[in-house]
Amino acid sequence: MLRRVQCLIRLHSNGRQALQFRSYAKDGANSKQNPNPNPRAQKQGSKNLPAVRNPFATAQDRTKDSYLTMVEIFNERDVHRRNHVEFIYAALKNMADFGVERDLEVYKALINVMPKGKFIPTNLFQAEFMHYPKQQQCIIDLLEQMEDLGVMPDYEMEAMLLNVFGRQGHPLRKYWRMMYWMPKFKNLSPWPLPDPVPDDTLEIARLAVERMCTVDLRSKVTVFESKDLKDAIDDTWIVSGMSPEQEKLLREHSRQKALYIEGPFHIWLRNRRINYFTLRADPDTEFLAQLDERQLDEDDVSNIEVPFFGRAPPRRHNQLGKLRSVHQQDDGTILAICATGTSTKDSLLSWIRLLEANGNPSIGEVPVLFRFTSTVPAKAKEIEGSAGVPAKSESRCSENGQTRSE
Amino acid sequence: MNNILRHGQRLGCWLPAVQHHIHTTAVHRTFWEREKKSGYKTKLPEPSKKQLILDGFKELKEEIKLWRREVKEQLESDPILVFRPGETDVVFDFKAPDVLDKWTVTTDADHGEGKSTATLELSAAGAGLFHGEVNSDHTKDGIIKRTGYANIRTKRVRKSFKRETTYDWTQYNMLIMKVRGDGRSYLINLHTEGYFDLMWNDIYHYVLYTRGGPHWQIAKIPFSKFFLSSKGRVQDRQGPIALNKVTHFGFSVAAKKGMDGPFGLEIEYVGLQYDPSHREEFAYEMYQTPKYIVAT
Repeated sequence: MLRRVQCLIRLHSNGRQALQFRSYAKDGANSKQNPNPNPRAQKQGSKNLPAVRNPFATAQDRTKDSYLTMVEIFNERDVHRRNHVEFIYAALKNMADFGVERDLEVYKALINVMPKGKFIPTNLFQAEFMHYPKQQQCIIDLLEQMEDLGVMPDYEMEAMLLNVFGRQGHPLRKYWRMMYWMPKFKNLSPWPLPDPVPDDTLEIARLAVERMCTVDLRSKVTVFESKDLKDAIDDTWIVSGMSPEQEKLLREHSRQKALYIEGPFHIWLRNRRINYFTLRADPDTEFLAQLDERQLDEDDVSNIEVPFFGRAPPRRHNQLGKLRSVHQQDDGTILAICATGTSTKDSLLSWIRLLEANGNPSIGEVPVLFRFTSTVPAKAKEIEGSAGVPAKSESRCSENGQTRSE
Repeated sequence: MNNILRHGQRLGCWLPAVQHHIHTTAVHRTFWEREKKSGYKTKLPEPSKKQLILDGFKELKEEIKLWRREVKEQLESDPILVFRPGETDVVFDFKAPDVLDKWTVTTDADHGEGKSTATLELSAAGAGLFHGEVNSDHTKDGIIKRTGYANIRTKRVRKSFKRETTYDWTQYNMLIMKVRGDGRSYLINLHTEGYFDLMWNDIYHYVLYTRGGPHWQIAKIPFSKFFLSSKGRVQDRQGPIALNKVTHFGFSVAAKKGMDGPFGLEIEYVGLQYDPSHREEFAYEMYQTPKYIVAT
């Protein structure tokens, strides 16, 4: 019986709500045309479920302004602000649609929906037994959403929460925890990124290559345009990272040994993924072995050579040898890194030719092989493909003395 | 929450006759936990008794070998007592034989709560490659809020005859790792599982930021930076990690903030070092806090 009365009240209030929100939301009757209708709103006839109308799901204009206006209308609807917990949950759920999920102002507006002073415990028992648990849990969930999305609260929010829940409130405890830990973790990364990460792919690719090049401080990141080359098919950008040390390694690389373009590998910049390719040579095993030999353990007394009986005294050999570069790894020598706009074979070919033209003439004399971990298209997809194009690229390949393999 | 619901359901199955007298809804067990997996223990079929005896004898040989080594070590009594600054002692070496048997891979898909996949295998460079795909999609059952993780963890360190023990890393103050990541940040987990149920889920965490790219990276992280958490919640009462109580070591990766997709972390070794220039005991300041607010 009681439940039915509640249902009736809710239905009644929903009717009024619909009237109020008319300027921002579509009517229930129009919900079929709505691209994102609320399924619960359509079940108005069903006996068991109370009809709950979600103004956020039916809003036409999805901007921060309309979001804040809806919160404001709810605030001014009546003194009691019935269903404000449900309202805040619905508002939290639909934040992403309005693009406000990282906006501190909006979170503050939602906390502002709570009545001030009403939920402050007045005695010890109330304080200890979570006074107004639904309301407190609701704001804890709100704070948790902020924490998950990396939105840091400010001191005004503390004042607001103090006004609503008092010093003993659980949301305050959550807030204080957040304000203790979040600033500690915020700038922890040794490779800081702009927040938010830019949307432009070229910009992200540049950031990615710069990040990978932090291994060698002398690295230079250049953005090439493939249209600078005479007969490149793809018109795209190529972000290339190479250091003087890598140029030197490339110069000293044997002309008989092949270089490999490997990839696509990926690197993550927060939630963006960028494919990159490397120009790699097989490890210089002779040099690496020689390094190991040089590292004599002077403390090892288990095998002392005795310099008697005509044997030459032990020579301190190779004390002044070549140092190992950071690019000379055990599994290969990395000579350059690149990310291209199309990640196609043609753009990679353009990259090699651009490297050749920009201070690495030796690369033209070395065979360069492709070695891909997944399928890489030969060229960027065109809507109108011409038959002559692949043959052209093949011929250019042989011109440069480069071979392909997969 | 899930755990509590499971308990409720289980009670219902066991005692159908008295179901009406027992709560089948949330019973908040704050202080007592039935087993270490907190309701996530999967019952695996046990082999037959005969098979168990045969396997036992097979294991006995290895265990006695292990025991003999322990006794010998005890008699020799030659432990490393000197701090050797700048020397790395490798604890988990992925170039060692049978190294993959020492690790357990888990994802949220193990209990049907998510769709992430992960494997740990040897890479072309001979190192361990922890890779797969994290996915934050899950069935919206109203209980699980967030999913999307993959995790590797070493097996519990033990002595002969399956007796559990702990690592003793008190001589060191740095964790050294040679890794090659993909730009994601990974979580380093140092489990310090205690005796009581309250301490079963104690894990010290820190972040491993990876550069990405084809170059190897040596990460050097002081133990003082690790902070305590339990069941994924950073604890209010913090303190430096007890390095003689480490039971497991592991890495986690999550699909948080829209980072759904493939991941790959190549690990060559995890080692320990003593750095005399690092004097910090605990990186987080310990405020005096009001009573009945903290850790409640």
